[in-house]
Parts: sequence; C-alpha cells; structure tokens
Amino acid sequence: MTLTQTASAIDADAIGRISDRLDEPAWLRALRARWWGRLSVTPPPTGQEEEWRRTSLDSLPRDAELLLDVPQLEAHLPMGAAEAGVILTDLRTAVRDHPELVERYLGRADGPGSHAHFWALAQAAWTGGLFCYVPRGASVDGTLVARQTLPRADVAFHPVSIVVAEEGSSVTLLEEIVSPDGAAGWYGGIADVRAEQGARVRYANLQQLGDGAWHVGAERVVVGQDAVVTTLNAEVGSRVTKLGLDVLMTGKGGTSKVLGLLAAGDDQQIDINTVQDLAADHTTSDLLYLSALYDRAHASFYGLTNVRPGTKQTSSYQECRNLLLSPQAGAEPIPVLEIEANDILRCGHGATAGAIDPTMLFYAQSRGLDADAAERMIVRGFFEQVVAKIEDETIRERILAALARRIGTTEDVS
Amino acid sequence: MALPNPALTQIPDSYKFGWHDSEQPRTTFEKGISAEVVAEISRIKDEPKWMTDLRLKAYRHFEARPMPKWGADLSGIDFQDIYYYVTGNSEGAAQSWDDVPDYIRRTYDKLGIPEAEKKYLAGVGGQYDSEVIYHNIREDLEKQGVIFMGTDQALKEHPELFREHFGTVIPANDNKLAALNTAVWSGGSFIYVPKGVHVELPLQAYFRINTQNMGQFERTLIIADEGSSVHYVEGCTAPTYSTASLHSAVVEIIVKKGARVRYTTIQNWSSNVYNLVTKRAVAHEDSVMEWVDGNLGSKVTMKYPSIYLLGERAHGEVLSIAFAGDGQHQDAGGKIIHAAPNTTSLITSKSISRGTGRTSYRGLIKVYPGCERSKSTVRCDALILDDEARSDTYPYMEIDEENVTIGHEATVSKVGSEQLFYLMSRGLTEAEASAMIVNGFIEPIVKELPMEYAVEMNRLIQLQMEGAVG
Amino acid sequence: MTALEQTASGFVTVARAGDLEPGSVRVVEVDGRSLCIGLTEDGEWGAIDNVCTHDGGTLGEGELDDSGVECPRHGGRFDLFSGRVLALPPVRPVNAYETVVDGDEVRVRL
Repeated sequence: MTLTQTASAIDADAIGRISDRLDEPAWLRALRARWWGRLSVTPPPTGQEEEWRRTSLDSLPRDAELLLDVPQLEAHLPMGAAEAGVILTDLRTAVRDHPELVERYLGRADGPGSHAHFWALAQAAWTGGLFCYVPRGASVDGTLVARQTLPRADVAFHPVSIVVAEEGSSVTLLEEIVSPDGAAGWYGGIADVRAEQGARVRYANLQQLGDGAWHVGAERVVVGQDAVVTTLNAEVGSRVTKLGLDVLMTGKGGTSKVLGLLAAGDDQQIDINTVQDLAADHTTSDLLYLSALYDRAHASFYGLTNVRPGTKQTSSYQECRNLLLSPQAGAEPIPVLEIEANDILRCGHGATAGAIDPTMLFYAQSRGLDADAAERMIVRGFFEQVVAKIEDETIRERILAALARRIGTTEDVS
Repeated sequence: MALPNPALTQIPDSYKFGWHDSEQPRTTFEKGISAEVVAEISRIKDEPKWMTDLRLKAYRHFEARPMPKWGADLSGIDFQDIYYYVTGNSEGAAQSWDDVPDYIRRTYDKLGIPEAEKKYLAGVGGQYDSEVIYHNIREDLEKQGVIFMGTDQALKEHPELFREHFGTVIPANDNKLAALNTAVWSGGSFIYVPKGVHVELPLQAYFRINTQNMGQFERTLIIADEGSSVHYVEGCTAPTYSTASLHSAVVEIIVKKGARVRYTTIQNWSSNVYNLVTKRAVAHEDSVMEWVDGNLGSKVTMKYPSIYLLGERAHGEVLSIAFAGDGQHQDAGGKIIHAAPNTTSLITSKSISRGTGRTSYRGLIKVYPGCERSKSTVRCDALILDDEARSDTYPYMEIDEENVTIGHEATVSKVGSEQLFYLMSRGLTEAEASAMIVNGFIEPIVKELPMEYAVEMNRLIQLQMEGAVG
Repeated sequence: MTALEQTASGFVTVARAGDLEPGSVRVVEVDGRSLCIGLTEDGEWGAIDNVCTHDGGTLGEGELDDSGVECPRHGGRFDLFSGRVLALPPVRPVNAYETVVDGDEVRVRL
C-alpha cells in the first residue's frame, strides 16, 4: 500500500469543494489543506498493529458519498448560559459566529496514535460537528444534549466535536449520533475534549448508528491540573465499531473516570482501544468498560495504562467485564499495563468474561422471575453500575433507554 | 548447598571432590549454521533417517521465518556467531576459573558453595562424575519401568515411543526458535512414566550421567502415561555461567488421562545470555499439569509455558516468578488453551524489577467454543523497586464460549514506605527490610518449590537487594 | 460405483493423476469450497478442508510427510485421510472428504 493511498475515496478537490459550499474563510481552507497533506503521509492501519489485529477494515464502505447537506444539530442552551458566555452550536455555525475561538482549538492537536489516519481525514473532510465552549469560572446548570441525526444510512460523515472547559468551569454534555438502519455507511466522528485547570467535565457520547453502519471514531481527552473529567462512551448501534480513545493526564492532581458500555447483538463487532496516559504527579485514572453480548456479537477491548517515568503517586485502575449471553458471542478483553515509575499509589487492572453468575440467576428466579426476565434484570443491574458513575440523571435515562432495545427495561421485569 | 539435591549430602568424601580434568580436546564446528552443519550433527549422532530429515526440514523453516517483532529486544543475536555443536561435556563452559565473571564468583562465596560445585556450575574444566551417586536412584526407577535418560539416548533405545510423540506438541515450524531447536537439538531429558506409576522423588537433570547442564539447544520430552505422576526439576538458583549467549530449549510434555506432571525450572543464567524457550504441555482428561517457572538471570528471557487442556476436567497451572535487575528483561508468563468442557486453569505471576530492569508478563487465555463450564483465573502482581525500573502486563484473552467464568487481575505496586519504616525501626537495614518484603511478596510461589530451591531463592533475593551481585 | 453413480452421490473431480508430485499437496477450489488435496508417496489421494483450525493458515500451501499435512503457518499437522489433528497448535480437526480415483480422475465427495 503506497503512502498516498487513503481509506476514503475523497480527494483533494472534494476538500476544496467542501470549503466552497460552506463558504469558509481562508484560515479554515488552509487548515483543511494542511490536514489533507498530513493524511496523505499517514497511511491507514495495515492490520498488523496491536490495536488493529482484531478488526479488519476490508469491508469499510470507502466509496460512501460524503454527506454535505447535514441536518441541523439539535442542541439548546439552558437559560442564562449564553449570557455567561457559554457556546453550544454545530461547528459550521461556530466557524461563522466565533471564528477566533474556533481557530484557537480546531485542528490544533493530534488524536490517538492508533487512529491517526482517521483523525487526519476528519480534520480535512468534516462537514458537520459540535463546538462547546465554557469560559473560565462558568458553571452550566443541567445537562446539555446535542443530537445529530443522519438522513440516510449510505453516507460518509466525519464530524469534529470540540469541547473546551476553561479554568474552574463546569459542564455536563451528552452527544448523540443517530442514523437509519439498512445500507452500509461510514461514520468517522472525532472528539477533542479539554478540561483546563480545576474544570469539571462530564462528557458522554451515545452512538446509535444504523445496523449497516461502520463506525471508526477517535477521541482525545486532556485533563489539566486538578481537573475532574468523566467520559462515557455508549455503543448501541453500528455493524462494526472501532473506537480509539486517549485520556491524557497532563496536569498534576487531575482525575479521570473513563466509562464505557456496549450491548451488542446480531453480528455486531465492537472493538475499542484506550490509552490512559498518566504523565503527571498525583493523577488518578479509573476505567470501567462493560459489555453485554447477545447472538453472534463480539467485543474486543485493548486498553493501555501507561505510567510515565518520574511520575509520583499516580493511581490507576482498568476494569473490563464482559457478559456472554449466547453461545456464539465472544469477547477479547486485553488490559495492558506499561509502568515506568515506581512511586505509584496504586495500579492494577481486572478483566472478566463469561456467563451471568448462576447463583445470581437462581436467586432472581427464586423471586418469581422467569429465566429471561431474570437475565434482563441482572444485565440492567450490570449496566447501572456504569451509568451510576456518571452521576447525571438525564444521561442515565437516555442511555438506558437506548440500551433497552437489547437489554430490556425495568418495566419488563416488574 | 548449591546443587538442589539432598542426595549429595550422602556422597562419600572421595567422590565429592572427584573432579578431574578432561584429557580430550574439545572438537567444535566452525561458528554458524547451514544445512551442512545440521546434517553433520545428525550424522555424528548416528540418527535414523526420519530425524535427519526432520532436522533439515526444521532448518528450512528456521531460515524462512522472520524473528518475532514483539516481546524483548533480540537485535543482539547473531545466528552466525554461534557454535552449533560442541562434543564432550564442556559445551558452554569457561576455559578456566579466571574466565568466570567476578560477580558470579562472589555470589558463590556468599552462598557458601563448596569449591567443587562452584567449578561445576561454572562449567570449568572436566566432568563431574555422578555415576556412583545416582546409581541407586536409577535402579529404583528401572524397577518401576520408568525411562529416564538423555534425549539422544532415548532416540536410540526407544525409537517407536520417541517417534510417536516427538514434535507433536511443538512442531518444527511453530516459531523461529523452535525451528532452530528442532534442527540442532542436542541433550535434554527423556522421561516415560508407565501407567499408574507414581515417581515419588523429583527427577532432576543431574541424575543423568554425563549431562551437559548448560546445553544450548536442549530438547526435553516427558510422557506421563495414564494415572501416573512425576515431578521434574531443572536449573539452579545459583548463577550459572555460560559462554554461549543463546540458549533456546524446547520442552514437550504429554499428560495422559488421569496423570499428573509438575515441571519446575529455576534459571539464573549469566547476564550475557539470551534465554528463549518454548515449553508446552497437553493435558488429557482428568489430568493435572503444573509449570513452576523461576526467571532470575539472563540478559533477556522470553518464555511462556503453555498448557493445552484437551480433555474434560483437565486442570492447568502456571506459577511464575521473574526478577529483573539492571539491564535485564524478563518477558515471561503463560498460555492456557481451554479445548474441552469443565477445564480449569490458574496462572499466578509475581515479578520484581529493580535498577534498570524490566519485567513483562505476557499471557493468553483462550477458550474455544463448546468448552462449557470452564474456569480460569489469572493473577499477576508486580513490584517495582526503583524509579528507572519498568513493569508491563500484556494479558490476552480470547473467549468464545459463553458458559464460562474467566477472570484476570493485576496490580503493580512499590514497596510501601510504612512497611519499610516499620521493619527498619526494628533494626533492619533498608536492604534487609526490602529483601524481607520482596520475599514475602513471592512467598506463595516459593513455597511450591523444592525446599533447597526455596532457601536458595530467599538468600539470592537478599543478595540482589544488597546490590552485591549483578 | 460407476462414474455416473459417483456424480449422482455428490462426487466432483478435483484433479487428474499427474497433477501432483507424490508427497505433496495443493489447493483446489471447487463448488465454492476450498480444499487441500494431497498425494502420498505411497500413491494414495486424500482431501481435507483447506483452512487450518488454529489460525486460518492455508493447508494446501503446506507440506505432506507420510500422511500428515503440515500447515505452513505454525507447523500444525492434520491426517490427510481423516482430518484428525496429529500435532498442535490446532486442537480441532478439519473435515476430510471421501476420495476415489476413477481412471485418470481424482474425485472427492463434498
């Protein structure tokens, strides 16, 4: 594979046409062109890389038509937030209304190394996305929800989401992506989340793509000094998901909770790789990823915890648990530790895979539930552990509702 | 006492120092490997055609396979800079006591190893004649029908048994180093235990007459027939000096229905050695296979004892200790393949890294579809003692059966300052206190070792902590 | 069985005598299936599935020793006539196919 080949059928002209159509300022055209240049020297994964060995990109729908007419992003700010300087709009609108701010953050950083090719592609070819900005000291009440619905299944869409919480601010944001079932499409959304000193951020991403969709996404989260960040990725849809997430603890005393849940069935393949990079003293990062696998679904998880040399008193834990709920479901949890400092407060990981504990099932059934209802109740309980950690009622409800298709609802079991 | 063998205490004095210099000069080939060298090795050993053909095929595979791109850094190995066959028993031996590195000589002193044994361990000079000592032990084994001899000899004396099993657990093309071993193997142990026979005394490499205990390319084959049991022990906790820089052994074990095998290895190769070993066992119905693996020495070790649980209710365990001091990389772990229902496995790994050392746990638990009610637990704990040391954990899991319970847990920690403070306030030096904590850390595995090893291991850790060696 | 009877009961031709050197194997694609066919030194033909159950290696590109087909990927071996595992790392056997020689044609029942 030559270096100039890319995963997509998009070419340099197409990038220019995006700028024309959206009537973009010169700085943005130049930015896209720079990333296009980067893309052409960043080949797609060969499949030999550790993170890519378990998911093949052979059937990625590279020729899917790039979506140019993107439906309006549904996003609203609560009363008073706009006056406080908080911004929540789609990215195109933000370019138009807040160019200096967007220019400060858009396309300025590299994403997860495993997904470098796709990060560059999105930075060059985005046609939609999100810009959420919270100025220093501002505290946003309630939960911000931004929902993007795609009009057709068979499109390619690589939006860029930017979330910036300045010093001392706080915000809770749920991003949702929805597309119809049916034909194969390609969703390559990337997210760039920054929590500056002392900021508090809760960022959840709920993926409900259609059953033919390929989801190749990447997220980069930077946690500043004494900041507290909780991220939650909920994978409900898609035929194949390959998500790369980097959580960079660059500021002393920063804390992160990295949560993930997926409920997959039919022939879904969900593959997630994460990096928890503890690069500063007194940082804490705890990861909890849960999956419930039905039918012939398969989940792979490759999580790297890297404690950098010279850091002191870091604390990290990685936990990946997989419930196998049918004979043909399969899981591959691989939590990896690379520890290069010795002054650690705590460090560990745990992974499990298997059926529901028979004792628990028996107990539930002895309460009068039939086997199916007992299983649904236990699986829900399994997931509630994760949603409870994000401590936001709106997010919890919306995610459990999305999962209901697979795992059922509490109403079913009463 | 360095040699982990209680029988030695019964040696009459005249034999204890029965040390004599060999009169025969060593004959070696030129360095480097080729098909001609492989054929010549087979010719010198006077082997049947099938073995010669297999060696040559394995050599072809060795040439064709690339080096592994994962694991430790193997760029320092030059395959053409190695002697592939040395006659006599001095393979890998130093030419004189002065050649033996200082740190090894000092360790022997501190461990209180007698003069003769020091030389033996360092492989200096001639043979250590073990004929008389082990005569009685061998008689007992023969009476039970147990076959225990060098692999070369077994090929000649038990050809059908040999051919039936050789290369069925680790085939010639399994990986590059196994291919190399299959091409140039020499030495190693062959053990066959008949049905229902329980070998009470742990069998050791030293029991074989004229052993080359530092064979570079040893090939071991152990077959435990139905209902039998045996424990095999190799290696030594005291530093073992070898001029040869590549040690690439292959161990194949077949545990038949209802049988039980434990294979204990403690290696403490000198710091010039690349120790790359392929060890694998198959466990049939109702059997038990245990690997106890201690990695203390070598510059680089890559070793992942494996167990294929092929029969229902088979049980496999890997107990692994790794200690990496300055400049060392211990890349070790275990692989367990569940290929039948109701199988169980346990991997316990304890590793310690200090100075600039690096320990990596690398393991695999694979469960094939249909292996219902199987259970596996992996527990890896690592201690990092210094700021420049490094510890990695790479646990792979491929679970394709729902009705199972598979769990893995790992921790990485440092020596707690409160613990240290408490011990030091009781009059221990920092080195002594650290040694005590480290010994406590590895205790669950050390208690599974034969007692002499356990005692040696503790003392060695203490020396390491004092920075007296390596 | 006559050739007609063979065809009726699902035998298809996969090779002709002389297509293979004794002691070798090759890949044959037939009826949407990928097979590994082999001819032993003793002159017997056999056929098994082409995909190794260990890691997906192509058995037909491997080697044949006596009646053992060696997978080129990691050296695992299967019996050419029964599909049984002769050497690890595969643990599950491959399907074997009844093979007959009719005159010049080597036929396999799928």
